[in-house]
Amino acid sequence: MADLRTNFAGIKAPNPFWLASAPPTNTGYQVQRAFEAGWGGAVWKTLGDPILNVSSRFAGTSYNGKQVMGFNNIELISDRPLEVNLQEIYETKKKYPDHAVIASLMVEPQQEKWHEIVKKVQDVGVDGFELNFGCPHGMAERGMGAASGQVPELVEKQTMWAKEAAEVPVIVKLTPNITDITATALAAVQGGADAISMINTINSLAGVDLDSWNTIPHVAGKGAHGGYCGPAVKPIALNMVAECARDPELNNIPISGMGGISTWSDAAEYMLMGAGSVQVCTAAMHHGFSIVEDMIDGLQNYMDEKKLETLDDIVGKSVPKYSDWGDLDLNYKVVARINNDVCINCNKCHIACEDTSHQCIDMLTAEDGTDYLEVREEDCVGCNLCSIVCPVDGAIDMVEIPNGEPMTWNDRQAAIKQTSTSATELA
Amino acid sequence: MASYEEFLEEKSKIDELVEKGYRIGKVEENLSGAFVDFERPNEKKQSEKKQLHILNPDTRKYFSNLLIAQQKNK
Ligand SMILES: Cc1cc2nc3c(=O)[nH]c(=O)nc-3n(C[C@H](O)[C@H](O)[C@H](O)COP(=O)(O)O)c2cc1C
Repeated sequence: MADLRTNFAGIKAPNPFWLASAPPTNTGYQVQRAFEAGWGGAVWKTLGDPILNVSSRFAGTSYNGKQVMGFNNIELISDRPLEVNLQEIYETKKKYPDHAVIASLMVEPQQEKWHEIVKKVQDVGVDGFELNFGCPHGMAERGMGAASGQVPELVEKQTMWAKEAAEVPVIVKLTPNITDITATALAAVQGGADAISMINTINSLAGVDLDSWNTIPHVAGKGAHGGYCGPAVKPIALNMVAECARDPELNNIPISGMGGISTWSDAAEYMLMGAGSVQVCTAAMHHGFSIVEDMIDGLQNYMDEKKLETLDDIVGKSVPKYSDWGDLDLNYKVVARINNDVCINCNKCHIACEDTSHQCIDMLTAEDGTDYLEVREEDCVGCNLCSIVCPVDGAIDMVEIPNGEPMTWNDRQAAIKQTSTSATELA
Repeated sequence: MASYEEFLEEKSKIDELVEKGYRIGKVEENLSGAFVDFERPNEKKQSEKKQLHILNPDTRKYFSNLLIAQQKNK
């Protein structure tokens, strides 16, 4: 059976599934129950000067009746005094010495503040720190969280200050509220981070109530922007993990990935794209701690089927397949093929193609009078839209058509450039 | 005209020039598409030139493949 044990930047855990710093890791009671349920690690709810929260903090977004496609919150960091948290961390670590307990920290960007909190928390025996440079609301208005996480110099400095006092690994948790996350990742590396994690939540407003015109959620008729997470953010987060994993300047720094992970397969995708551990918040809040059982079983079965023995056999294996657009093969060609035995003639593909793509799906009538759909392959650009909107599995296949030697945009531009240099040389 | 027919039409113009011994000399691309200069030496060792204005994206891939092959076989 595949071995899921993890050594992430020196932090050991029985498996790579960690609870992210958030309400599920608010107290010792919760974290201990989570470990009993099977979670390999927990990043404690962010510690700092105890805050005050508002009531009415969360909002879920649904899509077509599916609940919690996304999740929005305006909650701040821990509202409990540091000593209370430290006592519970100490007890938890003592009871579960083999599980990873990581303390998330957030203080003002001052050296003494970082030294003070790191030393105090370190004394209770945490396995590592995660610096929260990501919360987009509330704390950011006070110069912390995303406000300092968006400024590379502040990321570097604060990482350095934490590292000056830390004797255990330091993970820097990055904000996605930035154009190029590799810029702040590099700042973390330059500050001496042992690992990075991403993503924290994305700036969001969940909605507006059409009767009251209040924001969702609202606090006595007023709203403020929150942070978005859950399944909807997975593609954004996965790209950020992949961009960091493939950036040579980041030197293969270990990455803990999160954002919309709900199943073992989400986790496996993050791992293939370079995440050495994964963190989960929304899915645990939606379904409870027991979801980790399916995550562990699923990952183990997948690895067994693929004959993979340890996580090293999976982590980062898709990274070399992630490239720049200019290196993609312009000659690679797929076309849509409709399987008329399976197709239910709903016409969704025809409408999508006719209205919004390349008008290459014809509605035809057979000799026996039955209607059927057919793709004019020579006009099909292989955009995939028909297969995306098709409601029936297996009704549309995207089929590869042999189309000669590979040619990338970069190859092509180099060849064209060469024509102008040879023309100049001739002149 | 359907995109595929446009491609076939432009491709055949390129193929015709290549058959007559023309090679791609220079390519200039702008908002209006690609202007491809074809050249071949005549008996007096002077270069004869023909220009095609290529509009279709598949034909722009097609001549690029030809150009790369031409540069490889130089
Ligand atoms: C209600 C709530 C509170 C959160 N509080 C924190 C926090 O205190 N510190 C932190 O680093 N991240 C916090 N997060 C962000 C999560 O740790 C995580 O980065 C984010 O939710 C993405 O993961 P998910 O899609 O699995 O939820 C919070 C998220 C939620 C939903």
